[in-house]
Amino acid sequence: MIRLHALGKAYRVHGRMRPVLSGVEATFHPGEAVGILGRNGAGKTTLLRLIAGVEHPTSGWVERGMTVSWPLGFGGAMHYSITGADNARFIARIYGKPVAETVEFVDAFAELGEYYRMPARTYSHGMLTRLGFALSMAVDFDCYLVDEAVAAGDSRFAARCRDALEERRGRSAILFVSHVPDLLRQFCTSGAVLQDGRLTRYDDLDQAIAAYQPA
Amino acid sequence: MPEVPGAMPSGAARRPEPLTLRAAARVQRQVIGALLLRELSTRFGRENLGFLWLFLEPALLGGTIGLVHHLSGRGLPGGVDVLSFWVLGYIPFFLFRSVVNRAPVAIVSNQSLLYHRRITILDIMLARDLLEGAAVLGAMAVFVLAIGLATGTWPEQPAKLVLGMALMLMIAHGIGLLISAGSVYTEMFERITHMVTYLSLPILGSFFMVFWLPTEVQEMVLWIPTVHCFEIVREGQFGSAVPTTYDVSYVLACAALLNLFGLAALRKARRDMVV
Repeated sequence: MIRLHALGKAYRVHGRMRPVLSGVEATFHPGEAVGILGRNGAGKTTLLRLIAGVEHPTSGWVERGMTVSWPLGFGGAMHYSITGADNARFIARIYGKPVAETVEFVDAFAELGEYYRMPARTYSHGMLTRLGFALSMAVDFDCYLVDEAVAAGDSRFAARCRDALEERRGRSAILFVSHVPDLLRQFCTSGAVLQDGRLTRYDDLDQAIAAYQPA
Repeated sequence: MPEVPGAMPSGAARRPEPLTLRAAARVQRQVIGALLLRELSTRFGRENLGFLWLFLEPALLGGTIGLVHHLSGRGLPGGVDVLSFWVLGYIPFFLFRSVVNRAPVAIVSNQSLLYHRRITILDIMLARDLLEGAAVLGAMAVFVLAIGLATGTWPEQPAKLVLGMALMLMIAHGIGLLISAGSVYTEMFERITHMVTYLSLPILGSFFMVFWLPTEVQEMVLWIPTVHCFEIVREGQFGSAVPTTYDVSYVLACAALLNLFGLAALRKARRDMVV
């Protein structure tokens, strides 16, 4: 379970604190796949970063009763100067996973071919996304934080992501942020809308989409 | 596999597990171990000459000063070999400088690592500085060996060489923590740190021994903790051939204070930083 307690985040913009999130309250349980809708700039990425612990909230706190992935999307979480395989070794060591198996798993999942043994800085946008996603699957978190960027890649890989997430649905929670309702329909069962710094939960994804549309 | 040992099976209701000290220590060991391995390959890998510089710089700088003194005919009291005196005297500074100078970019160049909640800035700094300490200590061992073979003088108390370097590392690490925390707020540190470490070279203790100075100046320089580290290293190498003055507990207290403030500053910086 993940619980957000009056979560707030403000950034300093031109010397003034500009609030992005304020008083976000929510609870996410294992097995839930929640689609979080929000327009560009609504604070979707910020919310994921706070839940992941990449950045710290200005107020409130995040209670994590399960292991939470880093925000999956384009980039972050890896080293660009070393190869994909070395990234897999590094992640395995950080999270206490068997190294050889992890390297193999990521190789098979990310399908980078020869590039797997090349520095990550030579990778394309899509390849980085695939590597990042494969790395997180290798760690096997209880909760995955997914940015829409994952699904934006090639459709074959998007389908694989969907399958991988689907396969984990029973035990893992998935929080998927997007500004495109159709993407959420592929992944999620319930929904939430992020607007004006606040998060509103809906038991039904369609309700969330309906509430989002007029906005 | 659950991050916290003893976590309930999947699907069942989960309570937040209190992270025991032992589990936390295990995670930190894992993380620092992984960071060390990575740092080792990126800094001292075959493709760059990082390790060569470890030997070149002390040899060049210490060697040049030693040579000037040698040529000017000014010997050192106690019959101490000039060249080895200056080379060994430069190495603790070399450690100090490389730890402190790398601090302003420590966070920026490892920012992507902070995507992993398990990795803290302290882990990153510890891994970098421990590796730096080990590398410079290794270089020192090579110089000590070379000096021994060339002049027949071996360290009087090798343990003190290590002690002096370890204390220097702790001081530098504490200062490094403060600088890296500061670098989250302003680019000033990136601009001035290199200059300040070079300008402070004369007062850090690399180029003088305490007993060379007048009494009142001695009292002043002994406030500078790094001065003690150089004295300890010199006693380790030359023993009673040179009179040394130092206070290990004073250096430890300074290191503890610097590290304490460094940790507090990092904690604040981590909250405020935009990754």
